Amino acid sequence: MIGVVSWGAYIPKYRIRTEEVARVWGDDSLRIVDVYLIDEKSVEGLDEDAVTIAVEASRRALKRGGIDPKRIGAVYVGTESKPYAVKPISSVLVEALGMSNNVYAVDMEFACKAASEGLIAAVGLVETGRVEYGMTVGADTSQGEPGEHLEYSASSGGAALVVGREGVVAEMEAVYSYVSDTPDFWRRDGSPYPMHGEGFTGEPAYFRHVINAARGVMENHGYKPSDFTYAVFHQPNGRFPVRAASTLGIPIERVKPGIVVTHIGNTYNASALLGFAKILDVAKPGDRVLLVTFGSGAGSNAFVFKITDLITERQDKTNTVERMLQNKIYIDYARYLKMRKMVKLFE
Amino acid sequence: MKNVHIAGGALHVVGRHYDKNIDDMAAVVLDRALAEAGVDIDALYVASSTTELANKQQLLGVYILESLGLDKLPTFRVENGDNSGAAAIAAAYYAIKSGEHHCVAVVGVDKPHDLLSNQQQDVYSTVLDAYFEKYFGFTPLSYAAMMAKAYMKRYEYRYEDLAMWPILMHDHGVSNPNAYFRKRAKLEDVMNSELVSEPLRLYDVGPLVDGAAAVVLCSRGGGPRILSIATASNTTPFGLRTDYVQLYSTMNAAEVAYKKAGITPRDVATAEVHDSFSIFGVLALEGLGLVERGATLRLLKNGDFPVNYSGGFKARGNVMGATGVYQLLEVTWQLEGRGFKRVDGNYGVIHSMGGVDRISTVIVVGV
Amino acid sequence: MKHESVPIYWRNVPQYYRLVGKRCKKCSKLYYPPVVRCRCGSREFEDVALPHEGKLVEYTVLYQVGTDFLKQKPLIVGLVEVADGVRIPSQIVDVQPEKVTLGMRVEAVFRRVSTDGRHGLVMYGCKFRPVDL
Repeated sequence: MIGVVSWGAYIPKYRIRTEEVARVWGDDSLRIVDVYLIDEKSVEGLDEDAVTIAVEASRRALKRGGIDPKRIGAVYVGTESKPYAVKPISSVLVEALGMSNNVYAVDMEFACKAASEGLIAAVGLVETGRVEYGMTVGADTSQGEPGEHLEYSASSGGAALVVGREGVVAEMEAVYSYVSDTPDFWRRDGSPYPMHGEGFTGEPAYFRHVINAARGVMENHGYKPSDFTYAVFHQPNGRFPVRAASTLGIPIERVKPGIVVTHIGNTYNASALLGFAKILDVAKPGDRVLLVTFGSGAGSNAFVFKITDLITERQDKTNTVERMLQNKIYIDYARYLKMRKMVKLFE
Repeated sequence: MKNVHIAGGALHVVGRHYDKNIDDMAAVVLDRALAEAGVDIDALYVASSTTELANKQQLLGVYILESLGLDKLPTFRVENGDNSGAAAIAAAYYAIKSGEHHCVAVVGVDKPHDLLSNQQQDVYSTVLDAYFEKYFGFTPLSYAAMMAKAYMKRYEYRYEDLAMWPILMHDHGVSNPNAYFRKRAKLEDVMNSELVSEPLRLYDVGPLVDGAAAVVLCSRGGGPRILSIATASNTTPFGLRTDYVQLYSTMNAAEVAYKKAGITPRDVATAEVHDSFSIFGVLALEGLGLVERGATLRLLKNGDFPVNYSGGFKARGNVMGATGVYQLLEVTWQLEGRGFKRVDGNYGVIHSMGGVDRISTVIVVGV
Repeated sequence: MKHESVPIYWRNVPQYYRLVGKRCKKCSKLYYPPVVRCRCGSREFEDVALPHEGKLVEYTVLYQVGTDFLKQKPLIVGLVEVADGVRIPSQIVDVQPEKVTLGMRVEAVFRRVSTDGRHGLVMYGCKFRPVDL
């Protein structure tokens, strides 16, 4: 059996309310909340970035699983918020976690999908026996231009998954990918904020890829929508995952438990994975979980996991997603600009 | 053994001397000290805490001598953080004691105002462990603040009590013509000053100032002399101290210095102590055995105390590596009644400290 | 860009990232920061990562800071006891100064410490934050 052995999540403590952002930019906050179903979003502290978030999420994954970092043979980081254009986050993880130097390590970029691609790669290495454990981490301090609608969602957080053969809590039963060249959202080299196609990010991009990947995994591996106790989707806003579930014929009450975007916004690479971590925090043995990630540009990976008996041993071993959602300090827009390093300073 | 007399000395008024290079500023006071002593020197010891960091100059002794046209003399620079001045005096003292030299000059100089205030913090903080303390943002002030908290807690003082120290220093500074601040401070001035590292406020911090002082020490002649010098280091990291309400290096240096001089704390008529932050002045008095541990602030409430007639770091100013040389002249002049009201007694003590209780030098002067 | 020393940062990475101290092989005394010779006389040490949880034993809120921290002030800095006789000077983060209490349980977090201007190195290290808040 191969699958997830442990999981770790990290959400920075600071939050800004949608209302506060709307106040600054002259938007109607009730309308914004209604459109995106995002009440507030997480903001990284002044001393945080994708590197520190990746370290925190992965430390928690190791702690939860009681895993010796030296037994991890591969580490992948999916992010679109690298503090360095050139210099890996994965190598910082190797040192910060105290891993062996004999390790496959790389940072991956495919918008918000990269970390889930790392999951497939890590599982592959475990399957071939090249590594005992593999880890993938999604971590972002997501960018959104101030005053532009993306700002209401772009937020910060991270999630890490350790995969292996022993001590599996969520067996990976199936995976299916769907990729096409669809320019719904991009950020040019050197550009500080992404551009996007507004409504174009919906039908031709998010829905086409998410639905096709989900249908692909079901059709190819013989699942029905009713087989899933929970379904978790990439969450650019609160409406998209619910609509995707409805299109697939999955009842809304199976999607809602995995939705985090309403409380923390879109953490890009960590978005679907934080939803998945939240489900793992509460799942019961025998539950089946559909996880569908999405990255602009565009592609989706759809996974099916079966929860094992070991799950109960790992829950509550470290901070739960629910607890992190509750544990927060509200900041105003001025502090938000400072924390996100969006004030121009002499350095 | 040879005696070591203080044959002459000169101070530069402290301040922000934007118009002087560090070597020339030191040369001015050295020139005056040599003129007063009227002797030829065998060597020059230069004390500077931060000359390469703040003033971009090494080999300072040579450039000071060049400025005075003095050739061929041996010169050595001593860096011991804030304790540099006293350490250079110690080196000069040992050179005379050994019989190798007869007359030696010591010049202490530092010019923090060649830098911006934040850069001064950077430079001043290099006395901490650069890799495990300064790296994470600690400064000497932050450690002083934690020691102040511990002291106030241990001996049940309020911040108003600690404020007695800067008030006394300002009182003393008024009558020192070389002081940076020459005006009295009231309790509300201290209490209303900005918080710099809680519980410490701006009035608890001695301002960093540019300064230079020179002294000529000789084995011949009469006059006041250095009776003993002792230096002790404390190599326990701040985090591992067993006690935060005493200065170990000071106590250890003081014990040896008193013993060598053959005096006891009761014989001390005046003291100049290292009060870069007010709490250190309090702890220095107790470390020198001049006040019982924990009693200093109660004592200060009852009135004057013969400590830091110069105004200390708070009113005279923190001249960093030059401080020890200032203090030696201040104590000597207080014993002689020169520029200061003459103190009633024959012995004075100077206390100089490097880092946060990492090293202390205690010097006993007698007339 | 100040051109901070890369080797200084690099060689201290085990301490900065993982709180690696030295334990004397003879008498088991723990040292952080590392030393070369144990007080017992032994020179044989092994690397050991210190516990990542501890309690705050003293602190101050620092407003007067050096260049690297000008835009981060005030800093809450204190001593964290992570083992018997090991107290680490550390920044305390993710908490408002008025909520800090002595004896508070804290846990290590991996954070940015300073950056060498816009183009130079980003330097990281452990800080501590409250466990229960």
